[in-house]
Amino acid sequence: AYPLGGGRGLCAVRPEGDPSVATRAPPQRPGVPGRERSQRKPISSGRGVSANEDSATRTSLPCAGRLFSWSRPSTAFYLFPAAQRSRDMSRKRHRLVPETFGLKRRRELGDVEADPLRGESGSARAAVAEIVRLFPRVLFEDALPPIALRSQVYSLVPDRTVADRQLKALQEQGEIRIVQLGFDLDAQGIMFTEDYKTRVLKACDGRPYAAAVQKFLASVLPACGDLSFQQDQMTQTFGFRDPEITQLVKAGVLTVRDAGSWWLAVPGAGRFIKYFVKGRQTVLSMVRKAKYRELLLSELLGRRAPASVRLGLAYHVHDLIGAQLVDCVSTTSGTLLRLPET
Amino acid sequence: LDGPLLAKVLGLELNKDRDVERIHCSGVNTLDIEPVEGRYMLSGGSDGVIVLYDLENSSRQPYYTCKAVCSVGRSHPDVHKYSVETVQWYPHDTGMFTSSSFDKTLKVWDTNTLQIADVFNFEETVYSHHMSPVATKHCLVAVGTRGHKVQLCDLKSGSCSHILQGHRQEILAVSWSPRYEHILATASADSRAKLWDVRRASGCLITLDQHNGKKSQAAESANTAHNGKVNGLCFTSDGLHLLTVGTDNRMRLWNSSNGENTLVNYGKVYNDSRKGLKFTVSSGCSSEFVFVPYGSTIAVYTIYSGEQITMLKGHYKSVDCCVFQSNFQELYSGSRDCNILAWVPSLCDSVPDDDDEDLSSPTRDQTHTSYSGSMES
Repeated sequence: AYPLGGGRGLCAVRPEGDPSVATRAPPQRPGVPGRERSQRKPISSGRGVSANEDSATRTSLPCAGRLFSWSRPSTAFYLFPAAQRSRDMSRKRHRLVPETFGLKRRRELGDVEADPLRGESGSARAAVAEIVRLFPRVLFEDALPPIALRSQVYSLVPDRTVADRQLKALQEQGEIRIVQLGFDLDAQGIMFTEDYKTRVLKACDGRPYAAAVQKFLASVLPACGDLSFQQDQMTQTFGFRDPEITQLVKAGVLTVRDAGSWWLAVPGAGRFIKYFVKGRQTVLSMVRKAKYRELLLSELLGRRAPASVRLGLAYHVHDLIGAQLVDCVSTTSGTLLRLPET
Repeated sequence: LDGPLLAKVLGLELNKDRDVERIHCSGVNTLDIEPVEGRYMLSGGSDGVIVLYDLENSSRQPYYTCKAVCSVGRSHPDVHKYSVETVQWYPHDTGMFTSSSFDKTLKVWDTNTLQIADVFNFEETVYSHHMSPVATKHCLVAVGTRGHKVQLCDLKSGSCSHILQGHRQEILAVSWSPRYEHILATASADSRAKLWDVRRASGCLITLDQHNGKKSQAAESANTAHNGKVNGLCFTSDGLHLLTVGTDNRMRLWNSSNGENTLVNYGKVYNDSRKGLKFTVSSGCSSEFVFVPYGSTIAVYTIYSGEQITMLKGHYKSVDCCVFQSNFQELYSGSRDCNILAWVPSLCDSVPDDDDEDLSSPTRDQTHTSYSGSMES
């Protein structure tokens, strides 16, 4: 298992501090037979159990003397800063594991190969901009505004309350629009208002409802920053007649919420939602199928994206971490994604 | 006052020297500590049994079991037929307590004789009841049942005096405000939480809206507090804020005067309880904490910042209720494994308080750390 073979090698290899290096043979000792195999194996195989058993054999190793300094975050922390939160139990359990490795961590900010994200975003605005950069515009032929999800912002901004308040402030300033994506009442999509306006205008160009949509974008959007609109608000304050509201629903700009109340919507978002739901389930199943139902983040991002994941692995991983559909555990080899027991 | 008390709450651990005598043979659904002295605790179980415990340590030993003083057992002629969902002491003295149960009754008991003083019968099973802790002008008990109406029963006259209409599904939790004796909050399975003023004849004051949308009459019907059933309610100790938990695994903090969602985000607060979830807040500390049953553990959060402090592990099955004893900063929790556990703060260095002689000895702390260590493995 990994700790057996890799323990000796870890002392020499780790100072590069890069999980991507671990998957290749280390330059110093190419001849040692078991090393390549053990290092390609994901850390999840038998790590917890065998590490404890090996503590007896460790005393003879040269690197066993140094104490592990536990608090160093992994590379992935800088990419997914909210992932540093781990539950009490797991933090205590892993204190046993690094003592057997016995090495001081000198990890620098490395570049994980598959991931273009760099650094964490201190503010919600920067977080939304980062996710927007991850969004695959080509897939939708630029007809859809780049959508970020609220859970992805939580994965980049560690303090959720601060993230919520900043998003609320941005919403009030009119910089972003939040829409309710239909599949889950919890999942809300965030996009920049400018993007939304340009795409919607382009989508309804030359259609019979173009006039109603333009009137809506010009008068209602700047005035009302909410997620939903009420009947009396639309008819009295903004002067929309019932046929015009029907045209807006046909255009896909409004979706029915309740009698006399509508959610703001993105036209053509159906395809995005379909890919998103499918992709989220696929990425979750990748974690579920792994041994012990846990997977190193670097390993997950390094895998080839299955065909059903059209939006990109990094996009989905941000969403899973932020929505707490997986638990993030910091380990010596990086962030570990584990399915929660509940 | 704040420093040592704050340290105590942050240092809550399962205490192997403090035990609560195990009387219940089935899950403990509800706990209540009397507000006058903080000495007596009531517990209600799924078998209909109600037990009264004395929490005070009168022996000079550190090893102490909270003994049951008396109980309403299965052999009692007036015992509840089905599971007791809520018990509550009479807020002004310990001579009386109330209990409500799935057998569609609310019973008022005389503590000294353990006899029933009054019974209120309802048409549906009772999920929750609450009596206002600060009321001087009324003796109303708010009762939430499986029916869609909140009933207010008057203890003085012995009849149901008010009905509050507005919810569309069963009422899972009710709570009076600790600040104003006329303000009542109710939570229902239709995803709505409402604030009522019982003096008003017309409908509710506010329906809490999680999106903080525009307030208008038409919008009221579409406002939801959670994206699932709203399971539990708790006012903060000053009554200015209200916490709600829902089956959408969220906990929300609301401003109780205008119903605004403060957007404090506690993350995922796992909740799959099909009936009410009884959680509690600390009182008397500088920064307030909320203790929420989270599966078989209890999650502790700071109320106003949303940060998770710790998870208290010790129960074997799901935790149903917890209460906070503010005099000693102790937490008692009851769970489906029939145990009531005491979480007592362990102090690293003994603070010379004369009311804490059984808590601050150094040997106890070593046993604490070793005990909590063995719990982890």
